[in-house]
Amino acid sequence: MSAVVVDQSKNGGTPTSDDLARAAAIKRMERREGWKRRLPVLPALIYTILVTQIPFLFTLFYSLTDWRIDKVEPRQFIGVENYASLSGDKFFRDAAWISVQMTVMAVLLSLIVGTGLAILLDRKFFGQGFIRTLLITPFLVMPVVAGLMWKLQMFNSTFGIIGWVMNGLGFDSIEFATKYPLASVVVVLVWQWSPFMMLIVLAGLQGQDQSVLEAARVDGASSWGTFRQITLPQLRPFLELGTLLGAIYLIQVYDHIEVIVGGQPGAKNLPFYIAQRSIGGGNVFGLASAYSIVVVIASIIIANIGLRVLSNLLEDNS
Amino acid sequence: MAEVRYQEASRIYPGTEEPAVNQLNLDIGDGELLVLVGPSGSGKSTALRMLAGLETVNMGSIWINEVDVTLKPPQDRDIAMVFQNYALYPSMTVGDNMGFALKQQKVPKAERAERVAEAARILDLTEYLDRKPKNLSGGQRQRVAMGRAIVRQPQVFLMDEPLSNLDAKLRVQTRTELADLQARLGVTTVYVTHDQVEAMTMGHRVAVLNFGVLQQVDAPKTLYAAPANKFVAGFIGSPAMNLFDAENVDGKPGIAGVAVPINDAVAAALKGQSLDKVSVGVRPEHLTLGTAGIEGEVTVVEELGSESFVHVRTDHRGEATNIVVRDRGETQTARGDRVKIDFDGPLHVFGEDGQRVTA
Repeated sequence: MSAVVVDQSKNGGTPTSDDLARAAAIKRMERREGWKRRLPVLPALIYTILVTQIPFLFTLFYSLTDWRIDKVEPRQFIGVENYASLSGDKFFRDAAWISVQMTVMAVLLSLIVGTGLAILLDRKFFGQGFIRTLLITPFLVMPVVAGLMWKLQMFNSTFGIIGWVMNGLGFDSIEFATKYPLASVVVVLVWQWSPFMMLIVLAGLQGQDQSVLEAARVDGASSWGTFRQITLPQLRPFLELGTLLGAIYLIQVYDHIEVIVGGQPGAKNLPFYIAQRSIGGGNVFGLASAYSIVVVIASIIIANIGLRVLSNLLEDNS
Repeated sequence: MAEVRYQEASRIYPGTEEPAVNQLNLDIGDGELLVLVGPSGSGKSTALRMLAGLETVNMGSIWINEVDVTLKPPQDRDIAMVFQNYALYPSMTVGDNMGFALKQQKVPKAERAERVAEAARILDLTEYLDRKPKNLSGGQRQRVAMGRAIVRQPQVFLMDEPLSNLDAKLRVQTRTELADLQARLGVTTVYVTHDQVEAMTMGHRVAVLNFGVLQQVDAPKTLYAAPANKFVAGFIGSPAMNLFDAENVDGKPGIAGVAVPINDAVAAALKGQSLDKVSVGVRPEHLTLGTAGIEGEVTVVEELGSESFVHVRTDHRGEATNIVVRDRGETQTARGDRVKIDFDGPLHVFGEDGQRVTA
């Protein structure tokens, strides 16, 4: 695709040596321009390839072997055997189902809570900035710390606040995290991720054209009507972004599960299961690699479906 | 159909001392197109938004059809508003935009579609009904905003600088169409603009505001021929009136050493006022380049084809002062020419308080 233009009108279609020299000069200039743009990106690109793509290729390779680190025999190439064993692994299926439930619930709930908070923050009041900062703090807490806080200070049946409140109301306190492992993890995830969703939705709300909202008022729409018919459709790209980013992060949750419920089957998602099968003591690295690859592919597919569903939902609404 | 009344209506924004709109009294007749005009910060948009219910009325009251709407929310006032940036609902089609208000009123779908189609026909929008606003040109968006207003068949139209986002040519064209449409529908309309040409050409009456205070409300002709005060005199008319603090020339107010020909009644009215504190105004078309009068040197000639405006520099009260004279082109003047300016038409004299001195 060369953008070189040779004016052929002057000499009946035969480019002269001057024309050719000029064309070559222009080509050189364009090439220089191209490098000027590419060069600054190069370090980042090389780094990304080193830390993501090359490990991915290694994983792909391991997934086709029977590699275990607790055996002295050299690893052998076994083809797609690891992938074939996947269908018979009940634990994998359980973990996959937990992953889906955990991600969907955490993303949707934090999106709803975050949107609610954003709507409350999207109006002027005294102390607005202070309250906004306070609301963001859960997102700034380290996952492990958040997990410990909730486990010890909220869920714990003896010392936890939830137990204390339940006692106060006349109920017996229960070991929340043991009895409802999945719900416990989801609660903490929602607590941590709602501020993130809130920030994204708040950006959307504040980007709204005020006169459009005024027009809706003059046209007789109620507050709820305005929100449903005008604001929500306009928030769509922001909700989609929140869903996408939230899903990407929440599908790989590990720390919270490790801290709050440990290896309980009720809240063991795929990353946790894969880690257990490999570095967590299982040592079957070949198999775990195969599972990882499957998870990556499944994640991409699910994220796409999720986005499409959400888009359609909002499309109908408007 | 409705009458609108502002009664001592004031708006004071929180945290400010000066009212944005100060005790506005205004009666707008049924079917009238009243234009609120003024420079930016004059309170014209605020006054309109008070009528819309989008601004609190801090003092006084606003009435639509003898009903006090001062404390009513916008949706209970039966008004339709056209915004400067049109404020179309971006996620809805043109048809849904226009039918939005009817949908809120729970008008049946069939009737809604019928009324939208009717409005679309009037505004030539029929083929765009299924498009989203972002796929329309500026002029089409403006028409959709108009359509959204007329579909409702409201008591009052409110228009907040509806033409200011159009290019010059389209603005002039749409101005005419809008005035025609308003006359046909006969809906009382309050129209805000900063463009005095728009105000003059469209308004049945024009209300001039400055610093939140109503200066004068009158038919365009009256506004032009008999401005009530110095502000209106300077604001209405393009090019602007030549308006000067007068100097005392042999006991008469004068410009650049030449006494202006005022009649005895005006002279009598000026008795007791300090002549160098009164103001004298004369429109460019009421001056001619002649053989006697104010002397000066031509600095710029603006040739418009049908007429030309000659800018003449004179020495008035010891300062170089610019006077604009309309020339029909009979005299050929050029930059650098020495000319004399003669009075040829009505004069406007404003007393020490800036108010018109009427004979």
